[in-house]
Amino acid sequence: MRTFLLIDTSTSRTSIAVVSDSEILFQEHQDGALAHGQAISKLVAKALDHIKADTKIDEVIVGMGPGPFTGLRAGIAFAQSFAFARGIKCVGVCSLDAIASQISDPDFIVAVDARRREIFYARYTSGLRIGEPKVCQPVELVTLQLPIYGEADGEYPDPTAFIEIAATGKTYEQPIYVRRPDAYPAPVGVKFRAFTQMDLVPAFAIEKAAYGSDAWTMAQLREEYSGKNRMYLAAEFSGELIAYAGVADLAGVADVLTITVADGHRRKGIGRELLRRLIDWCRTQKCEAIMLEVRVGNESAIPLYRSFGLIEISRRKDYYGPGKTAIVMRKELK
Amino acid sequence: MKGSGALVLGIETSCDETAVGIVSGRNLLANVISSSVEEHARFGGVVPEIASRAHLEAMPNVIRQALAEAKVALSDIDAFAVTAGPGLIGALLVGTSSAAGLALALGKPLYGVNHLSAHIAVDSLNSDHKLDPAIALLVSGGHSSILQVNDLTSDVDVLGSTIDDAAGEAFDKIARILELGFPGGPAIDLDARSGNPDAIDFPRGLTLAKDLAEHKYDFSFSGLKTAVSRYLAKTPEHIRADVSASFQEAVVDVLLLKAIGAAKETGIETFIIAGGVAANSRLRALAQERSERAGLNLRIPPMALCTDNGAMVAALGSLALAKGLAPSEIGFEASSSSGITKPIF
Repeated sequence: MRTFLLIDTSTSRTSIAVVSDSEILFQEHQDGALAHGQAISKLVAKALDHIKADTKIDEVIVGMGPGPFTGLRAGIAFAQSFAFARGIKCVGVCSLDAIASQISDPDFIVAVDARRREIFYARYTSGLRIGEPKVCQPVELVTLQLPIYGEADGEYPDPTAFIEIAATGKTYEQPIYVRRPDAYPAPVGVKFRAFTQMDLVPAFAIEKAAYGSDAWTMAQLREEYSGKNRMYLAAEFSGELIAYAGVADLAGVADVLTITVADGHRRKGIGRELLRRLIDWCRTQKCEAIMLEVRVGNESAIPLYRSFGLIEISRRKDYYGPGKTAIVMRKELK
Repeated sequence: MKGSGALVLGIETSCDETAVGIVSGRNLLANVISSSVEEHARFGGVVPEIASRAHLEAMPNVIRQALAEAKVALSDIDAFAVTAGPGLIGALLVGTSSAAGLALALGKPLYGVNHLSAHIAVDSLNSDHKLDPAIALLVSGGHSSILQVNDLTSDVDVLGSTIDDAAGEAFDKIARILELGFPGGPAIDLDARSGNPDAIDFPRGLTLAKDLAEHKYDFSFSGLKTAVSRYLAKTPEHIRADVSASFQEAVVDVLLLKAIGAAKETGIETFIIAGGVAANSRLRALAQERSERAGLNLRIPPMALCTDNGAMVAALGSLALAKGLAPSEIGFEASSSSGITKPIF
């Protein structure tokens, strides 16, 4: 006889079950997106009271998400330490699989809330998950024309399915975060740091090469970088400046001033890393939103900005000079 | 050596340190800290999501290391304690959930403790002096408070706190403007040693008569921050060390002015300084000087115990256990709010 403690906190529901040889000894849940921390303790305490004192738990299986991180981590932290204290194994599985296990359609999608107006999802064909879970905006799934199951239709991970899922070997040692920023590792060998006065001269050279007659002058560059309430970052490779970026906190709304990568270093994720760090800084400043302008037709920058959740909100004609329209993009940070 | 008292394991995850401490009564057995500070350095501040991810990753190893350092087994632990607030909620939840998992698995009591009270409770370790009443100045990256400690485990009043930035936060922000790096406290402390603290007369926040009526023991550092920025903009030929020293002097002066004022008014003779900013050399020196003059018994915990750590959490849990206080309710709620004053949840 093998007894499992099963925990899932990947959705707004905290689910606990104790299963012994496919007999459910205890199963209960509590709803509330902000209550995971309290609910796990209460439900597990209840479960331990409920099962006979001589019923020994042999293994813990926990849902590793994907799902909103704060609640997810509460469940995983609890499961890990419970298992550690009892000297038993703790196994992680994909929570989406435990929603899919309840569906018998031949081809469907499981999607759960990912906050920031996005969803975590995975596609299942003939009962098998296709690839790893991903994140996207809900509208992007519509084109697939497949049935979608998830929290929105009252489908939650069923922890009693965890045992079978774990038995297939599809297990996880880390939370399934999916989402940027950490889905994109920083470019190798590139050092990111604060921009200093020493960077002005090399930055000006990059600026001129990148923007020609539209480039900022040295004086403008100095003024922009030294202004109030802003963060300027530099990227260097073997001791040389190769990129810089800046953002200003203008009364709670952040404005990206520049993201400029030197020729020969583009398309290596340096701009992405700089933008990621700027957004992180904006969050620490508690900015409510981040905005930027980008030239119409800039096909390398616009998809990058979209991937961070920046959305076009308006256009400004002649922003970069006659006939050069800017797209204004914005992302809410709260 | 286990010592004579009960074994308490404390967990702290309210900000960027994943820390576990183990005490036996009032004896410190282990104090292990894993910090994600380097991860945050590049942002000039703590990023909550990075901190929370790091806590979850570091926790199992930090617990294991603490047990090894204390030379005890997890099953020997008599009670657990964990910081339940104030702090970053996502970060706190990793700690409280981990602690709950340990306590429930072993059927041992769990105390959710107040982070601020824990900073003061650390002073109880490795000594047997009387702990309360005391006036405590708690200064760190997240807090700047003057506390009246009537009973460390049950009765702590907040006499005042910052109305804007914490003192440590002001150090970080000024260090960023001066390009001294993050964390700013040690950098400014070092830079200030070669500077003149009286070179620039920076403002002391909330010390004017009209402010004192409403904010007698409160602090404000945002005006000081603006004054430093304005000075730098106006004075291109400034001497950085003088700016550092004068800024530091303004912070330290007002912290001590108000805290020692509180001690005098309440007639309480024990004065404790805790929190990360207690590491500041100028604060320590001036506190010594002014405490002697005011006839106060100044206590500053050893440096390693001033910044966020698990030992302080275990220390407060241990005091609660020794007093026979009831453990926290199962499923107690962690709280990010700094307004909370009860030492045990």
